[in-house]
Amino acid sequence: MKLRTSGLVPIPLKDRLSARQSDIWSQSLELEKGRYLSVLAPSGTGKTTLIQSLYGIRRDYEGAIFWGDQNLRTVTEEELAHLRSTQISIIFQDMRLFPDCTAWENLEIKRSLTNTVSPEQVSEWMLQLGIADKKNAPAAQMSYGEQQRLSIIRALLQPFSFLLMDEPFSHLDKRNTRIASGLILSVVQQHNAALLLADLDENDFFPYHQTLQL
Amino acid sequence: MSEAKGILKKLLLRGGGKSRLAGAWITLVAGCLLLFVSVELWSTFRDILDGRRSQDSLGSTFLTISKKVEDASMADKNATTISDQELTTITRAPQVQDAGKLTPANFKVAASLGYGPMSFYTLLFLEAAPDRFMDQIPGRWNWKEGDRTIPIILSRDFLNMYNYIFAPSQGLPLLSEESVKALGFTLTMGEGPMQQEYQAQVEGFSDRISSVLVPQSFIDYGNRHFSSNGTVHVSRLILKVKDPSDKAFTGFLSDHHYTTNAEQLRFSKMRSVVEAVSAGTGVIALLLMFVSGLVFVLFIELTMAKAQESVRLLLQLGYSPAQLRLFLTRRYVPLMLSAVTLSLILTVLLKSLAAQRLKSLQLEIDLFPGLYVWIAVALSCLLLLWQTIRSISRSLKQ
Repeated sequence: MKLRTSGLVPIPLKDRLSARQSDIWSQSLELEKGRYLSVLAPSGTGKTTLIQSLYGIRRDYEGAIFWGDQNLRTVTEEELAHLRSTQISIIFQDMRLFPDCTAWENLEIKRSLTNTVSPEQVSEWMLQLGIADKKNAPAAQMSYGEQQRLSIIRALLQPFSFLLMDEPFSHLDKRNTRIASGLILSVVQQHNAALLLADLDENDFFPYHQTLQL
Repeated sequence: MSEAKGILKKLLLRGGGKSRLAGAWITLVAGCLLLFVSVELWSTFRDILDGRRSQDSLGSTFLTISKKVEDASMADKNATTISDQELTTITRAPQVQDAGKLTPANFKVAASLGYGPMSFYTLLFLEAAPDRFMDQIPGRWNWKEGDRTIPIILSRDFLNMYNYIFAPSQGLPLLSEESVKALGFTLTMGEGPMQQEYQAQVEGFSDRISSVLVPQSFIDYGNRHFSSNGTVHVSRLILKVKDPSDKAFTGFLSDHHYTTNAEQLRFSKMRSVVEAVSAGTGVIALLLMFVSGLVFVLFIELTMAKAQESVRLLLQLGYSPAQLRLFLTRRYVPLMLSAVTLSLILTVLLKSLAAQRLKSLQLEIDLFPGLYVWIAVALSCLLLLWQTIRSISRSLKQ
């Protein structure tokens, strides 16, 4: 399975993007399993739009996105759910946690969907990222940094071939970023998955095979 | 319940609130109960009015009719005879639901009781009516060739006339129904060499037919064996009439020179009133059922509207619409079915209570709901199931 885009242009940004050169918008992009891609995206160039379009949350674009041989625009809700639970995982920039649920419930609701990661493993990862003591705390009462670490663990609780990340460490300090990226890399390698990270600046969070300008 | 189901419940169902859920459920129970009870009422009324369950038929009137004896026809013995063709015509007359012959005994009958100074002797007439027209059929209402005892049903009017008019004026003792039933008397049939004696026993009293009734099988036998003049002339018919006050029916009677008890023709239009009341109740019950179904569905939609953010995020995390639909269906469908089931149980209880009360009024109705209630239950379940699933699917699509 690989990710392909062709002539992809987000309609709301169409006028603004035509004035500048991009390696992704209006171009063809291919990403295969096991490859690590960094997307550098200055503010306003459509970083979140790209991640959300690839994940099937937004459909206001021209061109096409293919996951394997499935055109994202024509897949059914059920096929999309299958892709999201077995092939593509995501770390949202805005975390998107259930605010009334505890940290553990936020992870369990994702873990139980495929049941491919044990609860013990989840506890171990929480300990590793320093949020084990927040297990029973409602997500709404956690700091942004803690919420971000929670959303990182949540993204790893399913089988995946592609991991999409939208500024995944924006609320973390260097030490926590290093620990979190180390955890992500080990799980990505375990799945032999591809990763696509969109961030504002150049970074060395992962050993990228390719860096593209948005 | 697994932990994930508990979390899903928290995310998707908490917005509804327990009191709102209880309110919606109780409304649904009330709506279903009203519908089932009104269907049962309609069905039971219908059966009682049509006289399907017992010999008593509240909604129909039974009339005995005969041809008018007029001055010109006094000399003609057959002037009052009603032919089979005329019977067919009457059966098709307006408001007539059924018609039957009152077959007279075409032979001499004498009744006697006791010997000596306390003896009693009178000439008598006998008639037979088809069983379906009888207001009551006693347990021993059978006669077959060879039986020496003949069961009799006496008009209650005759006993009343004896007790209230004849006995006081003649200084005779009064007779209760039980004492009359206990008295056996002798019936002498026919004349000359064909004469035979039978024992007779009063088995019951009729308010409907003013006559001395014996089983049809005995009249048919007697007319074959004791009659000396052949053909039996039927002069009286018994009719089951839906509404005897209907002008088309009274017009038919007068046009064909039939006579009957005029008072009965002014019989109240009870059937129409009962039918209108049960139909009105049915319409109101249908409306209430619709409203209660709507309340339940609106409760689901309100709960789902409050859980919209959670639904969106669950779908983004990889939950499929089918998974969420199944979870919600498993939550709401048993609730809906439990409401229908409770309503049905309450309907059964009310029906059996009503049956016990009506039994004391000599009205027999079934203890359990009839077919129409089960049809209403099945249709309600299907309709509510469709509404619930549709409402869940619609909420997930939004």
